[in-house]
Amino acid sequence: MFAAALCFFLHGAIAEEVPRKAQACVACHGPAGNSTDPAMPSLAGQPAQFISMQLFMFREGNRKDPQMSPMASSLSNADMNELAAYFSTQKPAAASHGTASENAAAGRRLAEQHHCVQCHGPALLGLQHIPRLAGQQFAYLRTQLRGFKARTRADFDGNMTSAAELLSEKDIEILADYLSGLTPSRD
Amino acid sequence: MSPAPSRSLISLASALVCVFSAAAAQAQAPAAPAAPPSWQQGRSAEQEKSPLHPFAIEVTGKAANLLPVDKLKVPDGFKVEVWVDGVPGARSMALGNKGTVFVGTRQLKDVYAIVDRGGKREVKTILKDLDSPNGVVFSRGTLYVAERHRITRYDGIESRLDSPPDAKVVVDGLDPQKQPGHFWKFLALGPDGKLYYNVGAPGNIVMPAYFQAAISRVDPKTGIIENYAQGVRNSVGFDWHPQTKQLWFINHGRDWLGDESPNDTLHVATRKGQHFGYPYCHQGDTLDPEFGKNRSCAEFTPPALKLGAHIAPIGMRFYTGKMFPAEYQNNIFIAFRGSWNRTIKQGYNVTRVSFDADGKPKMEPFLTGFLVDEKADPPMWGRPNDVMVMRDGSLLVSDDQNGIIYRVSYAGK
Repeated sequence: MFAAALCFFLHGAIAEEVPRKAQACVACHGPAGNSTDPAMPSLAGQPAQFISMQLFMFREGNRKDPQMSPMASSLSNADMNELAAYFSTQKPAAASHGTASENAAAGRRLAEQHHCVQCHGPALLGLQHIPRLAGQQFAYLRTQLRGFKARTRADFDGNMTSAAELLSEKDIEILADYLSGLTPSRD
Repeated sequence: MSPAPSRSLISLASALVCVFSAAAAQAQAPAAPAAPPSWQQGRSAEQEKSPLHPFAIEVTGKAANLLPVDKLKVPDGFKVEVWVDGVPGARSMALGNKGTVFVGTRQLKDVYAIVDRGGKREVKTILKDLDSPNGVVFSRGTLYVAERHRITRYDGIESRLDSPPDAKVVVDGLDPQKQPGHFWKFLALGPDGKLYYNVGAPGNIVMPAYFQAAISRVDPKTGIIENYAQGVRNSVGFDWHPQTKQLWFINHGRDWLGDESPNDTLHVATRKGQHFGYPYCHQGDTLDPEFGKNRSCAEFTPPALKLGAHIAPIGMRFYTGKMFPAEYQNNIFIAFRGSWNRTIKQGYNVTRVSFDADGKPKMEPFLTGFLVDEKADPPMWGRPNDVMVMRDGSLLVSDDQNGIIYRVSYAGK
C-alpha cells in the first residue's frame, strides 16, 4: 500500500480530463494508461473486457499483487466497467522497447509454435478478454510468463498456464523481448 | 503470496492440474509443443491453427442500457424487456415459494436471490465462494445447489436471505479426480422426488468413466445415487414432459468435426438405463472417427430432434404457463448459448419446439437479436442461457454473458 501511495505521489501531475476514478491508476500506469515503467503494464487500448476481468480477479483474490490488490479491493463492478471503458479507448503510445535483432525472428517463431497468435491475434493486439501483448512493457510480460509457468499467476480459463508450461526461461526472455517491440495498434 | 493459484474462481483453472502433471513428464524436451487446454482436445493437426475459441463472459456484468436490447425480437403479440441487470454470470434459475428467483453461476462462485418488490428488483448475493454453483432447485422451502463436486441444501432460505443457513450436504465426492472437463452441473427435481444432475465427459472426445457422460439421480433423503442415462456427452438442461412424465434433455455434441457436424440434440429417455451414444455415435447416425470403429449407431437410442451443430443448448423447460397462446402449452423452450466451434456462427437465441399430431417435434426461433454478425469475433452481444416459466406464465431468460435476465410476456394481438 505504501508503494502505491508513493507511486501516486511521485506522479502527482495529472491531466484534467482523466476521470476521477482513473487518477489513481495513471499515477503508476502512465498518462492515459501508457506506462513508461518496464515493470508496469500499459492499459491504453487494451480490450475493455480484459481490463475489467483483471480488476475483478484482483478484487476476488485470484490475482495477487501488493499494489493492485488493495487498489481493487474497494472497486464495484460498475467502477471496473467504467475504468475499462476509459482505458480501452485511449490510444496506445508507440513501443519504447527495441527488440534485439536476433530475437525478432526467433520470437515470432515461438509465438507461433506456442499458439500465442491464435488467441492474441496475428498481430498480438488482443481481443475480448485476451490482452494486447504488442508493445506491452518488457519486464511486465516476462514476469507474467514466469508466473504462468510457475502457476503463481491466476488464469481465467487455464489457457495461459497450459501455454506457458513448456516455455524455457530463455523462451520467455525472447518472447517478452519480441512482443514488447511490436507496434501496439492497428494504425 | 500464495504458492499456487487460489482455488477456482474459475473451475477450469484449478481443474487443469491433472493435465499439468501429464505435461510435466514431457517438460525435459524443449521442442515439444505445450499441452493444449481442454477445449482444444480432439483437434486435428490442421485445426491447430484454427482461430475458433470459446467466448469469456463479462465477469463484472454489463449494464443493460449499454447494450442493444431494443434489437431483441419476439413473435407478434409477445413483448421482451429487461427484467433485471447486475447479475454477473447468471445461469440456471429456480423460483421460490414467495416469488424469489434464485440464480446460479458457472464461471463465478456466487448464487443470487432476486427479490421483486412491486416491480423494483433487488439482487442479493446470498452464497459465495462456491465451486461453479451452476445448478439450483427450489422445493418445499429448500434451495438445493449443485457445485462441481457436491450437491447441498439450504433449508428455509427464503425467509432468511440476508443470513442464509449453513450448507447441508446431500452428496459429495462427485468430482473425485478434479480433472478438466464438463463437470459443472445442471440440477432438476424429478417427479419421483429425486434430484437429477449431469456429470459430463472429462474432455471433448474421450472415453468416459462409468459415472461420466451420464445423467444421474440422487435421493435427497438417503443420498443414494443411480445412473439414469448413459452416453450423454454433456447435458445442462432437462425437464419432464408434463403429461408423460418422461425425461427430456438436451445434449452437447463434440467439437472439431467441422461446421456442420455433429448436431447438438434433444432427447427423450423413455426408461432408466438407455445409452445415447457418446463417445461412439453422435446425433444418432454418425460414428465417431476414433471411438466409432467396430460400433454401430443402431446400438444406441437416437435423438428426438437435431438442433444444429455446436449451437450449445443450455436451459430447456416445458411451457406450462397460462399466459401464452394455447398452442404453446407443453411446448419446449431451449436457450442456445453458442456456437463458437463453427466458422459461420448460428444460434444465440431461444427456440420453441412444438409437436405435430403424431408427436413429431419441430423447432423455430422464438427470441432472437443477440446474434449480430455470424462471421465476426465475437458474433453476438448476449448469450441466452436458461429459461424459466414464472407463475404468471411469463418466461424469464438468463444471459450469462452480460449478467442480465429478460422477461418475455404475451399481451395478445
